[in-house]
Amino acid sequence: MSNHSATTVSTAAATDQAASSPVNQPGRVSASEPLFGGGGLLGTIYILTFVLVALLVVIPLVALVYGSLRSAAPGMPGEWTLANWAALASPGIVGTFATTIGIGIASSLISAMIGTALAIIVHRTDFRGGSTVTALVSLSFFLPSFILAMAWIIIGSPGGLINGVLEDVLGLEGWKVDAYTVTGIIFVMALHQIPFVFLIMCGPIIGMDASYEEAARASGASPYAVLRRITLPLLSYSLTSSLVLSFILSIEQFAIPALMGIPGHVPVLATQLYLLVRFPPPDYGLAASIGLTLSALTGVALWLQRRIARNNRLTVTTGKAGRLVSIPLGRWRWAANALCWGYLALALIFPIVILAYVSVIKYFNANPIEAAYTLRNYVFLYESGATLHSFWNTLIVSGLGALTGVVLASFISYFTLRQRPPAYHALDFTANLPFGVPGVVLGLGLLWAYAYIPLPIYGTLVILVIAFITRFLSYATETIGGRLVQIDKSLEEAAWTAGATRIQGIRRVLVPLALPSLRGAYFLLFMAFFREIASAVLLYTASSNVLSTSIWSFFEQANWGLASSLSLTSMVAVLAFMYLLMRLARVRPMRRYMTDPNADNAVKQ
Amino acid sequence: MGISVTRLVKIYGSTTIVHGISFSVADGEFVTLLGPSGCGKTTTLRCIAGLERTNGGVIEIDGKVVSDAEHDIFVASHERNLGMVFQSYAIWPHMSVAANVAFPLEVRGIRDTREAVAWALDVVGLAALAQRQPSELSGGQQQRVALARAIVGRPKVLLFDEPLSNLDARLRDRTRAEISRIQKELSIPAVYVTHDQAEALSMSDRVIVMDLGRIIEEGKPRDLYRRPASRFTADFIGAANFLSLVYREQAWFAPDGSAVRLANPEPGVAGETRVAVLRSEIMEIRARDKAIGQDNHNALHGTVKGLQYMGPHIEYSIDISGVPLNALSNEEFEVGAAVLVTFRPQDIHLLPRSETPQSPSP
Ligand SMILES: Nc1ncnc2c1ncn2[C@@H]1O[C@H](COP(=O)(O)OP(=O)(O)OP(=O)(O)O)[C@@H](O)[C@H]1O
Ligand SMILES: [Mg+2]
Repeated sequence: MSNHSATTVSTAAATDQAASSPVNQPGRVSASEPLFGGGGLLGTIYILTFVLVALLVVIPLVALVYGSLRSAAPGMPGEWTLANWAALASPGIVGTFATTIGIGIASSLISAMIGTALAIIVHRTDFRGGSTVTALVSLSFFLPSFILAMAWIIIGSPGGLINGVLEDVLGLEGWKVDAYTVTGIIFVMALHQIPFVFLIMCGPIIGMDASYEEAARASGASPYAVLRRITLPLLSYSLTSSLVLSFILSIEQFAIPALMGIPGHVPVLATQLYLLVRFPPPDYGLAASIGLTLSALTGVALWLQRRIARNNRLTVTTGKAGRLVSIPLGRWRWAANALCWGYLALALIFPIVILAYVSVIKYFNANPIEAAYTLRNYVFLYESGATLHSFWNTLIVSGLGALTGVVLASFISYFTLRQRPPAYHALDFTANLPFGVPGVVLGLGLLWAYAYIPLPIYGTLVILVIAFITRFLSYATETIGGRLVQIDKSLEEAAWTAGATRIQGIRRVLVPLALPSLRGAYFLLFMAFFREIASAVLLYTASSNVLSTSIWSFFEQANWGLASSLSLTSMVAVLAFMYLLMRLARVRPMRRYMTDPNADNAVKQ
Repeated sequence: MGISVTRLVKIYGSTTIVHGISFSVADGEFVTLLGPSGCGKTTTLRCIAGLERTNGGVIEIDGKVVSDAEHDIFVASHERNLGMVFQSYAIWPHMSVAANVAFPLEVRGIRDTREAVAWALDVVGLAALAQRQPSELSGGQQQRVALARAIVGRPKVLLFDEPLSNLDARLRDRTRAEISRIQKELSIPAVYVTHDQAEALSMSDRVIVMDLGRIIEEGKPRDLYRRPASRFTADFIGAANFLSLVYREQAWFAPDGSAVRLANPEPGVAGETRVAVLRSEIMEIRARDKAIGQDNHNALHGTVKGLQYMGPHIEYSIDISGVPLNALSNEEFEVGAAVLVTFRPQDIHLLPRSETPQSPSP
């Protein structure tokens, strides 16, 4: 796991880089640089890339706008109307709006605080076991939100574990816990987003120029004073930026508010949209206008975040790592331990133990001593053709879909960061646009679009792949682009002047040097596709079930046992598969290059 | 055949960076583009390498037009048959030394690269390190790998963009000699870009002095140093003093009224003022009381105003009747000492009339 944590950091810090990458490009950028010296091939690829990206992104968005202005369901005869937009002003929806933002602010504040605290403890203090904590936090980064929510529903719902223990085991009648509340949602969302903040903050915390702190120490500041007066202020931009990103993630979060908020009647915009489409009488038009509003909200937040990231002139990272002095924890060691291990217990260990427990009992019982154990859930999964089918579907969607996504993202990064042909800005913008579009909203857009487009892909794996690639394309372009900007332009130019064509230069120099990031992007897309539910929930059918949607339907049918056992099985299977893949892909000569830090520095000449 | 650049123009956005410069480099000739930072040296070199498209003018390599904006001719870098050494070396970190050097051959479809690679590594003295990874090399060794990679394909031209600027002073001196030797051996034209005058003077057959995207002057290193045609060149190459000489009674006179004798006398118009270049390092300083009874040609009377101890010599600033003069010497003088600064007739050089700022009233 720790092998890949660097990748996750770079992607988690996705938008930070996005803002700065065009400016930081080393080497020379020339507006009139020879275009397509590799013959017509690169030109053709550019046009194809552009068209594909435009289709992927523009179709669902246009469909949404269209849908929000129609009075009938997709594909039905209807007329133009503004009623869907007017309906946004109804008290119910205004209230939902407020709940969404309230939950977003609360959960992002909590996760920013705890995530940063964890990162500082692990990287800047004499905390023992930092690498274990980092590895486990990275692992919890990949724990799908709907699985985390499921676990906490099993733990904290009115008929769940805690209440069972309180009532049956301890006999306390008056005490009740309810996860189906705003508090419950905020709690689980914060747990889910802490690893994200942690991974983003690790970069600036590790990469900070030691001389600032040394100067403070030389002026007589105690380690704690250095932290408070120098380190934290220097991190303030990164902190704000990760706070806003985390806010975006929580307002577009679907699975947690759907699983916990729908039973508890706590609507947020994403789930309101889902309910409008899924439950009769459906109101597709209103759903579309809600979707666009939600996208506008995330869009504004994203714009804000980019501005913050771009203005970040404080953290001067020099890569002079290892000279930062650790802060002694002293008598606060217990608190640091409590925070780190407490978090991991709540976000990773406890949920997985609960899922494992629920997957092997016949009927839910809060007392493990009295419970009746069985393997029937696993036997059922093993024997049911439908489960096997969804395994295969996931393999296709995640395996091949992620591959397609990485290829497309490599082209986009190459053109927007290296080649810079005409209109490359537009390509960059289009490819990044879906980052601000919540998953359900994207699903709804595709639902509208493919009711009109005469392509028989609705309800197939193809539409899932389209949705996932569109949604996560920017993750891959950020990972690959983050690497490309580090590869000095002169390395490629040296190949050209040595007699290599553009294509040869790409194949022999650029691709080998960018390979770690290609691999990282593949890993990231694979995991993202595997754990994605928001954009799939409106698009899947029985025949195009993937693992995430299968787990989802089991849970919707209140079959906790099957949902738990399939969650565990699929997580183990996916991790094993990724591990194998990464082992296979690691070719011998690259290994030494990758493990040699000097070799890596040589790239950034 | 060599390289020929005719009226080269390069524009970035709305700023013209290179203003129609022309020069040529003959086979086996080593030409340096010298100039202050930002004057367009790298840009010119990159135009020759085909890394930039030109906006005007013609570039020919070996008699073949490779860039001609007006006629829309542009030969891509990889078809120009170049050897280029980058300032950052640009050694590919994922390939061994041998693989780096073999690359230019491989991409041209040559299968058996062993012999040529061995030759190139031998020329730069790195034969023993062929299997090393770039990360295991020192800066100087990386620099020589870059050189080997540039010459291995027996290119038609060699291009260097400040290849020594990342090396320490001693290594720089050694590598300087090595580059000149290799270039002479291959007898191909070389264009070398630098802003370091010592590099330019020591390596080049010819130096082209540039400023603000224009060529100021070109010539042999010795001529540029001793007989620059412009104030800019004199100032940029070496430490120059500028003295205003006045012509009267068939002779030139220094500001302190002493007569100046020139190696090849150039008559002026009576009352005319011309600027002369006097190099700091070729003057002699003597205490004035010890120099009585000397020939008073080419002897300026001055007072020591300040001094800086530099190690091998002391740099004095001397006041000659209100005109400041810098001179180097290893004699010791106190501040305030009355001195006589002497120089040989061949060491003072009159700049052309056009280089004298025209004052409104003589
Ligand atoms: N891609 C570009 N876009 C716009 N202007 C550029 C670009 N590249 C260079 N310039 C400008 O062109 C001018 C000449 O640059 P060039 O790199 O040729 O200078 P140089 O003589 O090599 O300087 P140095 O000694 O510092 O390397 C500079 O003013 C620079 O700012
Ligand atoms: Mg330069």
